[in-house]
Amino acid sequence: VTQRQVEVPVIARVEGEGALHITAKDGEILDLRLEIYEPPRFFEAFLQGRNFSEVPDIVPRICGICPVAYQMSAIRGLERLFEVQVPEGTHELRRLLYCGEWIESHILHIFLLAAPDFLGYRSAIEMAKDHPDLVKKVLEIKRIGNDIMEKVGGREIHPVSPRVGGFSRAARKRELDPLLPRLEWALEQMPGIADFVATLPRPELPRETEMVGMVHPAEYAIVEGDLASTLGRRFTAAEFEQVSREIHVEHSNALHSVMADTETPYFTGPLARVNLNAHLLTPVAQECMRRAGLVVPQADPFFSMAARVAEAALAMEESVRLIRDYVPPEPSMAVVTPSAGRATWVTEAPRGSLYHRYDVAEDGTILEAKIVPPTSQNLRHMERDLREFLPGVLDRPDDELTRLCEMVVRNYDPCISCATHFLTLDIERV
Amino acid sequence: VNPARVRVVGCGNPEAGDDAVGLIAVREARPALEAMPQVDVVEIGAGLRIVDLLLVDAAAVVVVDAVRTPRGARSPGTIVRVEVGEGDPVPEPDPSLSSHGFAITDALGLAAALGEAPRVVLLGVEVEDVTAGHPLSRPVAASLPDLIAAVVREAERLLRP
Repeated sequence: VTQRQVEVPVIARVEGEGALHITAKDGEILDLRLEIYEPPRFFEAFLQGRNFSEVPDIVPRICGICPVAYQMSAIRGLERLFEVQVPEGTHELRRLLYCGEWIESHILHIFLLAAPDFLGYRSAIEMAKDHPDLVKKVLEIKRIGNDIMEKVGGREIHPVSPRVGGFSRAARKRELDPLLPRLEWALEQMPGIADFVATLPRPELPRETEMVGMVHPAEYAIVEGDLASTLGRRFTAAEFEQVSREIHVEHSNALHSVMADTETPYFTGPLARVNLNAHLLTPVAQECMRRAGLVVPQADPFFSMAARVAEAALAMEESVRLIRDYVPPEPSMAVVTPSAGRATWVTEAPRGSLYHRYDVAEDGTILEAKIVPPTSQNLRHMERDLREFLPGVLDRPDDELTRLCEMVVRNYDPCISCATHFLTLDIERV
Repeated sequence: VNPARVRVVGCGNPEAGDDAVGLIAVREARPALEAMPQVDVVEIGAGLRIVDLLLVDAAAVVVVDAVRTPRGARSPGTIVRVEVGEGDPVPEPDPSLSSHGFAITDALGLAAALGEAPRVVLLGVEVEDVTAGHPLSRPVAASLPDLIAAVVREAERLLRP
């Protein structure tokens, strides 16, 4: 009888605090808990009683990596409820801002958080010693993402210009144009980066599952569109809470999401989006996807990094297009008259679909808010992945087993701070 | 990030008692610093931006921050100066870095690994109270004028050829 226990008390290179406890006996998993002990953050309660106009300044504080996602889901939902006609060019400027966030977040995850795992380094700093030119290049690419956010949003973290109705100040063309040569340089680097990702030794976890993301008829969906799944579901943001249900599990301060009808887990994020929208990827993104070895349909979560490379290229190509064609919205924002009702919207945060719902009073006061971030939707699926992946690797030494478990979790680029509304590993081999 | 010969970075949380001391000192020193040629003054909270501030276009960086020694080895308000690479001990980087937070030691480790570390001087003040919503503690507030003078002096020294 071999009983093994894996304990990861604090999972590294994820945002927020979580632990992993696994007990296995004779190759069978007896207990597996992804424990989220990051304390609850009460953002939904902070929003109650606030005026709608304060929401774009409060919700981005949920996350330092994807503040734009929080702003956009809130702003677009409230605009639809209030029937706001935003000035022409607003949609394009929002998409550009969001692309900046995708570039920054995806590049950071690929190189500083995930790649060291695949190459067996303890940290990005150790990796940087052996691959200094690559790391310098990716830090420069990440900086371009930050600079887009600063030029469009007024600040590189927690942008200040996005408002319900538009932008408090719309970037000028001459402020954005200097980004073009830098973006074109970055795009030239992407196929080589995809080749690097293709060379990384990749574990395998092939299986069927359901993936959820936004779809749009004309563009790779980020801010606008409906939801779809790889099993053929199609629904709108207004229907989100009927399709996806949050359940509480004792070991987690973050709720878990399941499909309401089948009670099965699903996952959202770059790999889901690429599966749903590969035909809408831009040319360099298509090339990166091919060179990184990703062919859809593909539900193996270890292909998430390849999906991130393709999406990073897409965000750069879209940024080039949006800046070239940019005409500043005039005026920069519409006049907004609040009305009572329910606002719902979903946008595609770097980590996946981000749902917001606000119940609003006649004068624009927020009565109730509900936010379902991608990480909490993915938590149950992370546990499922671990259950399916672990039996094949339980014979590995403790340190390797721990690293493999962390890789499974890190495929999702989890943001535990966002989700408590994540890992220390602890494997017990009984 | 503006190109500069010397970049002065104030770090901290303005709403957490003594943790704000680096921000306040740099804000107060800003007029004197900006009167010097080629000095870039930046105020930041937590996060990854410190990496860019160390790696991009600066020959020297002064980082001003609140510090806390383990086990109360220094009294609150004590000003600490560490010049990286001059034999002063800097803690090892933490391999468990988060996706969002990045400690100064991690940033220095990354810069060193890339072979691009500028001259870095850390000016710190030992804290007493970092409770959210509290003002600066008495000993830290008392050392603020000395810290501001030290920041200006450091920039002047680093600008000399």
